[in-house]
Amino acid sequence: MANKGCKDLVSEVIDSKLCALCGACTGNCPYLSYYRGRITLLDNCSRADEAQCYEYCPRTYIDMDAISQKIFGMPYGESETGTIKDVFIARATDTIIRKKAQYGGVVTTLLSLAMTEGLIHGAILTKTSDDKASAPFLAQNLGDMLQCAGSSYMACPVLGRYNQITKDDINKLGIVAMPCQVLSIAKMKIDPPQNRVNIGNVKLVIGLFCTWALSPDFHQFLKANLDLSKVKKFDIPPPPANRFDVYTASGKSSFPLEQIRKFTMPTCAYCLDMTSEFADVSVGSVEGMEGWNTVIVRTDAGADLIETARKKRKLQIDELPASNLEHLKEAALLKKKRALNEIVKRSGDKNNLLYLGLSPQLTKKLLA
Amino acid sequence: MANIEIDAPETSQLFIGNEAIARGALEAGIGFAAAYPGTPSSEILGSLAQVAKKIGIYAEWSINEMVAMEAAAGASFAGIRSLAAMKQNGINVVSDFLANLVMTGTGKGGLALVSCDDPSAISSSNEQDTRPIAKWLDIPLVEPGDFQEAKDMTRWLFDLAEELGTVCILRSVTRIAHARGNVKLGELPTKQHVAYFEQIHDLKNVMPTTFIPMPSPFRHFLLHMKLEKAREKFESSPFNRYLGPDKPDLLIITSGSCWLYSQDAIEALKLRYRVGILKLGTLWPLPERFVSEHVNKSNKVLFVEEIDPFIERSVMELAGNLPPNAARPTFYGKRSGHINAFGEINPDMVIKAISTILGLEYQPRDVDYSKKAEAAAKSNVPERTMTFCAGCPHRATFWSIKNALKLDGRDGFVTGDIGCYSMALGPAGFFQVRTMHCMGGGAGVANGLGKLGQFGFDQPVIAVVGDSTFYHATIPALINGIYNQSKFTLVILDNNATAMTGFQPHPGTGMTAMGEPTKVVSMEALCRSLGAHVEICDPFDLKATTDTLLKMMAKDGGTKVAIMRRQCELVRAKKENPPYKMHIDVDKCIGEACGCDRLCTRIFLCPGLVWDKKAGKSRIDEVICSGCGVCADVCPQGAIIREAA
Repeated sequence: MANKGCKDLVSEVIDSKLCALCGACTGNCPYLSYYRGRITLLDNCSRADEAQCYEYCPRTYIDMDAISQKIFGMPYGESETGTIKDVFIARATDTIIRKKAQYGGVVTTLLSLAMTEGLIHGAILTKTSDDKASAPFLAQNLGDMLQCAGSSYMACPVLGRYNQITKDDINKLGIVAMPCQVLSIAKMKIDPPQNRVNIGNVKLVIGLFCTWALSPDFHQFLKANLDLSKVKKFDIPPPPANRFDVYTASGKSSFPLEQIRKFTMPTCAYCLDMTSEFADVSVGSVEGMEGWNTVIVRTDAGADLIETARKKRKLQIDELPASNLEHLKEAALLKKKRALNEIVKRSGDKNNLLYLGLSPQLTKKLLA
Repeated sequence: MANIEIDAPETSQLFIGNEAIARGALEAGIGFAAAYPGTPSSEILGSLAQVAKKIGIYAEWSINEMVAMEAAAGASFAGIRSLAAMKQNGINVVSDFLANLVMTGTGKGGLALVSCDDPSAISSSNEQDTRPIAKWLDIPLVEPGDFQEAKDMTRWLFDLAEELGTVCILRSVTRIAHARGNVKLGELPTKQHVAYFEQIHDLKNVMPTTFIPMPSPFRHFLLHMKLEKAREKFESSPFNRYLGPDKPDLLIITSGSCWLYSQDAIEALKLRYRVGILKLGTLWPLPERFVSEHVNKSNKVLFVEEIDPFIERSVMELAGNLPPNAARPTFYGKRSGHINAFGEINPDMVIKAISTILGLEYQPRDVDYSKKAEAAAKSNVPERTMTFCAGCPHRATFWSIKNALKLDGRDGFVTGDIGCYSMALGPAGFFQVRTMHCMGGGAGVANGLGKLGQFGFDQPVIAVVGDSTFYHATIPALINGIYNQSKFTLVILDNNATAMTGFQPHPGTGMTAMGEPTKVVSMEALCRSLGAHVEICDPFDLKATTDTLLKMMAKDGGTKVAIMRRQCELVRAKKENPPYKMHIDVDKCIGEACGCDRLCTRIFLCPGLVWDKKAGKSRIDEVICSGCGVCADVCPQGAIIREAA
């Protein structure tokens, strides 16, 4: 990875349509800037020896074993859903949170609890505006967090907001992130940034389940088709629904997924991670159970927080039905296999996995 | 500026060429002077305007050269001696009027036009030569060879113009206009000016006075008679003279500043007894008899003149009319490659040409001299590229333009214009300007680009123009854009001054050339009245400016106007103290490290910021910094601190 800089980031990632719009290269770099769904290089930076934009990009070389070793103390394994301490279903006991939440309100509950407990002082989230455009946001109280509940399914450069926090800022942070963003944070954890944020301050990473994200261009599509100010919630119900639902005060309208698939980020096809495998806690929906979340606990920090939530009755926790777990694993494995095949198809060489540093054994197994 | 109105005949004053010309005009008794500023001509009207009230004449900065010329002609029609002055580009702006003025003739007041050419385009976009234009417009043209001549010739030119009844041109060049020399003064007239447009031209036939170019063929014929009369007068003009041996080995024919270079060359080569100089002051129409008498003095003739081979071609035409058996000298000059047909001439070039022609060995100086001179000069000069002043609003504007165009992402670009901001074609403006031609040309070019949507063109176009240039020549292009719904954004860099040429007032400043307060012609009111969507930005607010530009570029519809309003820093600094005191927080400055890569001294490039290589930190140059505070918003680390001064 040595001797690569912003120009390489532009040619290898941005111009190659591998950019996930995670925001990791923006926020405290004056050269790279996010605007309307694109990362732009404003001027040429001459740093090629220690370019952190290149280093922390989730689509430049990533040593999965090294990251796993750092976070979980073991090499990257064969589990479809990553390293798991515990997996269950849960929902918020707080009805206000549940009402605002996308599914079970677990993310908002955990963030608010972490705040109350003093584990974090704020959280980097995604906030949707009145017309449902999403933007990164630093939430500093429960009210802020509630405003950020719900998903827009659109990529949002959350890490750019994180990067704006100065190195000497002592506040502890939580981040709610997509798998690509969790990867970038993991890269920062194994090799902490210079002159940038203090990664040590990130005390809680809540990863979301993700099969693919929509490009911010999708917002223009929605704007042309809907009065976005009236929208209450977007949802992509689990298969076989195959549709994108939009809830308004007056009811629900749906778009067939086929119609919106052209707005998916091209980079998602090359992503192996469905369940945010390097997060402290990963959260998603539960197939067939509206109003609940699937929760994967991965780290000690995650486990401690869940334990507190359990004790303080902030979460109602139940067992994940075995068939759901099986489906989750199947889906996660399918994403890995598909993505790896796409990667090999693109590189044209089974030994060239573009950005991915995966053991030959695991590569072979997934490609089989 | 020198005291051009001093009433001390026969005393000598130190004048730059332009002041000498202005003094000559005063001695000629002009009552009216109009000009549009343009280097190297600006000091002519500048110095006249300063003394106008005291002397009792009228002087104005006109909106452009065409109006200046037309206004001066108007004064001439009412019997007032009048002068218009401009740089070479201005001649193009007035040429349409001139082409008709030569047909109509001038009024009872003599009318002179001073055009200052700029060989090597030191302060210009081109190095156009006025002399051939005088030839194709049938206008008598003279060129002074030194400062005394600049004054004397100007004075005499009004007599000539009045006698001929046609406009006459005095051509000057940068090295005459801006160099300084002693000028012996003449008398200042005491006559009171009385302006009156005589309605009856001819008492016998009771013909009304008209200045109309028809019937054109007849008027054209009359014009040629005027030129013949001028030629006859030029034959005996003291501004044409020969100095040298009776039978020189080489005859140099030259004029203007090249006369001085030729004298230096002969002196350096010690060839006073071998080389003669025929110095011409009246160049068009060529005094043919006078030239013919001298041209056969030698069988070798070298033409030394700047820019076009004007004298060279004219003399060759003359030689073509010599009897078939007449001896013809060999001509050397631009055609033969001995003298460049571009750029300024200097004594070295003349020395080289003479040496080549006469087969002389001449080493003008130590071989390493130029290297040594360059090193010596550099030791005293800070290393700096041509750039905007510290605190210049244009730097901030172009920073926002650059970022907005990049963020917009459709490969937009800037069509540029003439002014300080022309420098934006280089690092000063982050290489943003992609086209540059003439005053108002940028908006005109944008008009065409903005209509290419049907051919798949989606690149945003920003036409950038200064405030003075906006009034000068951009308004028709803007109206055209609105009328024809051309999609571009006109960015007016309103620094409330004609900054590049010396802060002359213009219609937006509320001040006249003579220092009188006047109505402000509001550019935003004007643009809005035309139906343009107008936004006014403070260029120092980088974020708001960038956002406004992004919005305007994204918007459909025709021409939009963004006015970047901030006073020229050089004007502001004369009136007020700096708003901020800047300093660098060295703990925060990360210099070349990732996350900055010294953005301020590598990209932003304000001369008030210097890179302390040893410390690896940026530093404020307190002498140069104007305290505008913009760099604090550019620094990604918040290391540049502004404190209220």
